[in-house]
Amino acid sequence: MAKEMTLSGCAATAQAVKLAKVDVICSYPIRPYTAAMMELAKMVAEGELDAEFIHGEGEHAQLSVVYGASAAGARTFTGSSGVGVTYAMEVYSPISGARLPVQMMIADRALDPPGDFGSEHTDAMSCRDQGWLMGWAESPQEAFDNHLINYRIGEDRRVMLPQFVCQDGYFVSHIPGKVLVPDQAQVDEFLPAYDPGSHVLDPKKPMSHGPQIRPDQGTIMDLQRAQAFLDLPAVVKQAVGDFNRIFERNYAPFVEEFMTDGAEIVFFLMGGHAATARHAVRHLREQGVKAGMVKLRFVRPFPTKEVGEVLSKFKAVGVVETSTSYGGSMRGGNLLPEVRAALYDAPTRPLTTSFMAGLGGDVVSLKDFYWMAGILTAAVQAGKVGKTVYWTGLEKA
Amino acid sequence: MAEVKTQMLPMLKKLRNIPREEQYVPGHRTCAGCGPALQYRLVAKAAGPNTIFVGPTGCMYVANASYLCTPYQVPWIHAQITNGGAVASGIEAAYRARIRKGSWVGELPNVIVMAGDGGSTDIGLQAMSALMYRGHDALFICYDNESYANTGIQTSPTTPYGGNTTFTPPGKAIPEGKRLFPKDPPQLVIGGHPAVKYVATASVAYPIDLMNKVRKALNVRGPTFLHIHAPCPKGWKFDESKTVEMARLAVATGMWNIYEWEEGVYRYQYRPRELKPVGEYLKPQKRFAHLQEEHIARLQAFVDAKQRAIGVPVKVPVPVPKAVL
Repeated sequence: MAKEMTLSGCAATAQAVKLAKVDVICSYPIRPYTAAMMELAKMVAEGELDAEFIHGEGEHAQLSVVYGASAAGARTFTGSSGVGVTYAMEVYSPISGARLPVQMMIADRALDPPGDFGSEHTDAMSCRDQGWLMGWAESPQEAFDNHLINYRIGEDRRVMLPQFVCQDGYFVSHIPGKVLVPDQAQVDEFLPAYDPGSHVLDPKKPMSHGPQIRPDQGTIMDLQRAQAFLDLPAVVKQAVGDFNRIFERNYAPFVEEFMTDGAEIVFFLMGGHAATARHAVRHLREQGVKAGMVKLRFVRPFPTKEVGEVLSKFKAVGVVETSTSYGGSMRGGNLLPEVRAALYDAPTRPLTTSFMAGLGGDVVSLKDFYWMAGILTAAVQAGKVGKTVYWTGLEKA
Repeated sequence: MAEVKTQMLPMLKKLRNIPREEQYVPGHRTCAGCGPALQYRLVAKAAGPNTIFVGPTGCMYVANASYLCTPYQVPWIHAQITNGGAVASGIEAAYRARIRKGSWVGELPNVIVMAGDGGSTDIGLQAMSALMYRGHDALFICYDNESYANTGIQTSPTTPYGGNTTFTPPGKAIPEGKRLFPKDPPQLVIGGHPAVKYVATASVAYPIDLMNKVRKALNVRGPTFLHIHAPCPKGWKFDESKTVEMARLAVATGMWNIYEWEEGVYRYQYRPRELKPVGEYLKPQKRFAHLQEEHIARLQAFVDAKQRAIGVPVKVPVPVPKAVL
């Protein structure tokens, strides 16, 4: 029987990792993700979780330890936040290139400078093209669920890829919410024991892992990694379908729509700020504004087809950007370029713009969403958007 | 914690006791006379088939591991030059967990990191130290060819004083080339890692000693460290038929000491009764060709101080200018 617990995002993560029966965990402290490791350390100390708990000497080592452990056939878990995520950068591509289904939690945090504890997606988004799956959770429940879903997808023989399982620092990682924690038998049904297959460091089957290639062998290897991402959507749909059936949930695999029936303007975003956006949409509807929300569950693989299909139904889309891309094509964040690309081949294209918001851990308030709705409504009336990026709270509509 | 390793590799007394089976076979692309390749072959032979090698980037990665054509008869995995110690830690931890949980049956494999001097003492120092600190059952080998050779002979922390490398070229303003004295890797390990029970140095010039030290290290339950002198004809610029001679001269002149440290006790091997002057070692190597008398004296003084400390009688063979001492 599932039991209901009140857990922060970090505590929910630890519960999921325990139920996934991981073999090797590697820790290093940095706020806010570190609360998950503290929970796991307690579980190992109490004998509730049978895993090797390695104190890494830094984030780069954390990823290196799980790289070795995964290559030796173990199910692994690690995590980080902020500058810790970027410190480990060297090791992300070797892990995905070796097709090792390592899992890393990111409770995101603004990069320096200035020193800032707050949530911001830039740390993780800076690593989005390293060949890992990546997606955000809106709540401790979704964080819990995403860990199990990602292990299942990443370890699928058709995929064999590592996963960044992200949640917003503090907003999700440290604010408790109700979490349905299933029993072990249910989890075992959804997530079988890890089978590393034949490509393992094993003296009984000697094999060289990661030798050098000639330049003419490079493209074909990159194609294989790219192909795994092309094959991913079918695996994601199957895994999310099974998850919904076994645990009685109702997740969309890639793109969740909220109050989009009859909507003309929508907020497009991912992660914890979606919780505020839902309230904003309800209030806006009460005031007669035809608003809705579309939430992205995976940014890698980017669900180009689904995003194109869903967003082409509306008149204007406001992308809420919680990461920076200085000098990028849209002059703001990282999502609007992807959204516009996804809409390029759509039969009808909505107006699109973006709102820089929630950087450095700033709260994106109801008022902020109303302000965004005003800009989107004006754009619909004018039949065009004024510009591609607005800095929320710092400029007039 | 349940014992997952019972192995006791026997010591080798004579050359003919050495296993005939090769774990590191020909067909790689190392240079003629490569010291690191020679020690790799000896290490792999001594370790035997129940072994996993971790190969951080360096000569022994680039010249050995070509896709579809690697010389390893045992499992091998590439690590970044930064993280050999951490990758080995993960492999060892994975095997511990898998043996305990029953997802793998067998004896804990020998996990050996084969890192160059940069991958051990410079960019890889943090990961090496952490492996030693955490007490993983793994052997970390620093094969020392005294430079970043794979990238075209740049100075590393173990390049000797006076070495001409592409980052320490001698010139009018800096006539001696390299101005710094090298790090001492085994002392770094011994000095600050209480989990470590066995540390040794070895040389390609003394293969039986080298192989027995590998076996001794692998018989220890816990982290061990070997520092192996591996001359590099290309980087040191000497005749490639003289690799072993160069290694012997290093020992005879005190430029390299062979010893082991076991739970606090030092034992020295091949300690010369009388040191030859360092000049005899420097002369055949063109990396030292630019050194002037005062530079050689400075190096001699450094060597003498080191030898005195371990009880080798020293007679200063060349006059040392006052300005230097």
